[in-house]
Amino acid sequence: MNKFFTKKLSLLSFIFIPIIFLWNPNWLGFLGVQPYWPLFWLLPWSIINGSINGLIFGLFLGLILDSLTLDSNFTQIPGLIFCGFLFGRIKLNKDILVGHFRYGLICSFGSFLCGTLYFLQILFRNFSDINSLMFILGVKNILAEVFLTGFFAPFFCSQLLRMFKFSRRQ
Amino acid sequence: MLVIRRISTSRWWHKKKNWILFAIFLFLVFVRITKGSFYKDFYYFISKPFWPGQFQKEIILESIEQEYSIKLSLLKKDNIRLRRILSLQELSNNDHISAAVISRKTGSWWRQIILNKGSKNGVEIGSTVIGPGGLLGRVNNTSLFTSSVTLLTSPGSKLGVWVDRIQINGLLVGLGDDYPSLILYSKDADIKVGDFVSSSPASTLLPPNIPIGMVHSIDETLKSKKTAKILLLAKPHVIDWVQILK
Repeated sequence: MNKFFTKKLSLLSFIFIPIIFLWNPNWLGFLGVQPYWPLFWLLPWSIINGSINGLIFGLFLGLILDSLTLDSNFTQIPGLIFCGFLFGRIKLNKDILVGHFRYGLICSFGSFLCGTLYFLQILFRNFSDINSLMFILGVKNILAEVFLTGFFAPFFCSQLLRMFKFSRRQ
Repeated sequence: MLVIRRISTSRWWHKKKNWILFAIFLFLVFVRITKGSFYKDFYYFISKPFWPGQFQKEIILESIEQEYSIKLSLLKKDNIRLRRILSLQELSNNDHISAAVISRKTGSWWRQIILNKGSKNGVEIGSTVIGPGGLLGRVNNTSLFTSSVTLLTSPGSKLGVWVDRIQINGLLVGLGDDYPSLILYSKDADIKVGDFVSSSPASTLLPPNIPIGMVHSIDETLKSKKTAKILLLAKPHVIDWVQILK
């Protein structure tokens, strides 16, 4: 039983992504925006399991997170699929310190991508009512999310990567 | 020599008593110049414990509170009676469900809260959610134990509202920021900053007369309609307990 849990640790941790997404701790926020939590899990998973796995789990994450948000007009799936595929092509860096910073940069880029794709959907949907305020809000959301995701990624991704590697070895 | 010495010791400024009198005189001049403000302030502090205000104020406030609660209950009865006559939608006090906010998204792309009461507790899709201050939003989705509420600030939110001062209906549209937009389809509407906005008495979606917010700023650039930013009275980012109206 114990072995089963250690073996499936990476998959079990997947369950916690929607929970943290819902928890949305205010004290971790910046300008009312939270880091983009799914990327912290998706990056180590895709690095270890490759692009196709990353793409599939990007889709799964997108499906779950879309079901938790009430806005049925917009979806997070394209951004997460793209990130999952992209992250799968990244090789591990031997230098641990450089690796940490790489996680931050990669997650920042991923967050920018997901945020931009989501914002484009909002713009496309409200094409007739576009105003400057909408742009300012969108850019604020994207930038705050990029900053926070990049800031926290080295902590979360490194730990998750270690956990996934350990789980794989078992 | 001796005589001179005697005269010098008897000068008026050598006497302490004279100096005291001079000091008192200066003080009185100061009091005169300041028109007695020193005395008044001194009197303020020594008479403070004996003021009639403190105790009397409590009695008066209590009386006012009682008067208001009696007036409110009479007005409520009147309102219900008139609504029955006009066959308008009614709001009953027995249909409230208290719920705690267990998840909150109020700053990012998504503007929603999740409550700890769901379909098991009788919450239905479309139920109105109010918090301290007024209307928060409507239940968009329910699970067995939880319900998700679309906030008024959410980009998808659209509600009919009533501007009480000018007696006109408008559409409150969430834009994703903290100030939803009120659209009045009349260029001549005399809306002003500070006008009170509540749920429309003629609305079929919401119970009537629920406070929503106040006009924060007005945009008159559009030709066919007037829009205004609304400052919401209920603050979803700090509220922990809400009430669901069935």
